[in-house]
Amino acid sequence: MTSDVVPADGDARRLLDDARGLARRVRVAQRVTWLPLLALGVVMFGAILVYRFTDPIVSDCRPDPLGGQVCRAWFLSAQIYWWVGLVLAYVVIAAGYLRVARDRGLGTRVRPYVVTGIALVVASALVGFAWQLLDYPYFPDTPPPLVTFLIRLVDASGATGLALLVLAWLERHVALAVFALGYLVVALVPINFGWGENWGSNWGMGPQLVINGGLLLLGSAGFALAQRWRRPR
Amino acid sequence: MTGSDHPANGLDDLVHQRIRLGILTIAHEARRVEFGFLRTQLDLTGGNLSQHLTVLETAGLVELEKGYAGKRARTWITLTKPGRAALADEIGRLKQLVARVDTTTTEER
Repeated sequence: MTSDVVPADGDARRLLDDARGLARRVRVAQRVTWLPLLALGVVMFGAILVYRFTDPIVSDCRPDPLGGQVCRAWFLSAQIYWWVGLVLAYVVIAAGYLRVARDRGLGTRVRPYVVTGIALVVASALVGFAWQLLDYPYFPDTPPPLVTFLIRLVDASGATGLALLVLAWLERHVALAVFALGYLVVALVPINFGWGENWGSNWGMGPQLVINGGLLLLGSAGFALAQRWRRPR
Repeated sequence: MTGSDHPANGLDDLVHQRIRLGILTIAHEARRVEFGFLRTQLDLTGGNLSQHLTVLETAGLVELEKGYAGKRARTWITLTKPGRAALADEIGRLKQLVARVDTTTTEER
């Protein structure tokens, strides 16, 4: 057997570098970055159909000074879809990570990511209920920008970006962190190309969901290709 | 720092060794690692790796679990609590050594 005992001071740096290099190789081998992006992108596109084929619960309609009317709208079916869809996505992601890691001869830790994801879903649900209990504060006016920002941060689109940031931290994955930040900017800053303005209220969420979901699916394809190229043949 | 305080004095010969430190590092990062992955990453023969694993298992730093994936026999290696402590101790002492070498070098300039 090779004893390979090394002198203390001189080789300490080399031993540390070796250990860091090995830890990094394990983290790279554990990555299945395309999977969460694909699962969350699919959930995002599924939401378009739910918004299209279900109707919000509308109440307290008032005339809008700019014409037409402004109402309170609660998208109950969509809300339930998001909770169920996101929890299922996290289950699929966790199972996928465990399976791929096992096939590569490794274990992996998915619990912090899944717990964060589910905590964000619960936070999102609590904010939704609180909004109902507080009887739609600011109605019929638009909430202040900071409140709007915070609501967007914990809604399904924002929570997806936060969960991806946690995954990037767990994997020490700089490229995913950059992607998640880019995604959050797109999800939190309302983008309006003028699409869907005359499509009716059931398509109102469509453009933003197409942009968010499209970005996730493109990211998934990009990370899958990058992983394929980097893997030794 | 007196001679007895020198970080090299606390190094455990069992762990202060490139291959065994590598095994513990990989097992810690992966939570659980298969024999084949270790052999490939550490560029060892099966026999050589087995001997290192026996030493670590005898010392209670790792646990070996044998099983099957289909018809293929597989051995999984998991770090024990003393193994995690030994790894943390070794890494801490190596960092102290590096810091000490850096400080000495700076003072000599």
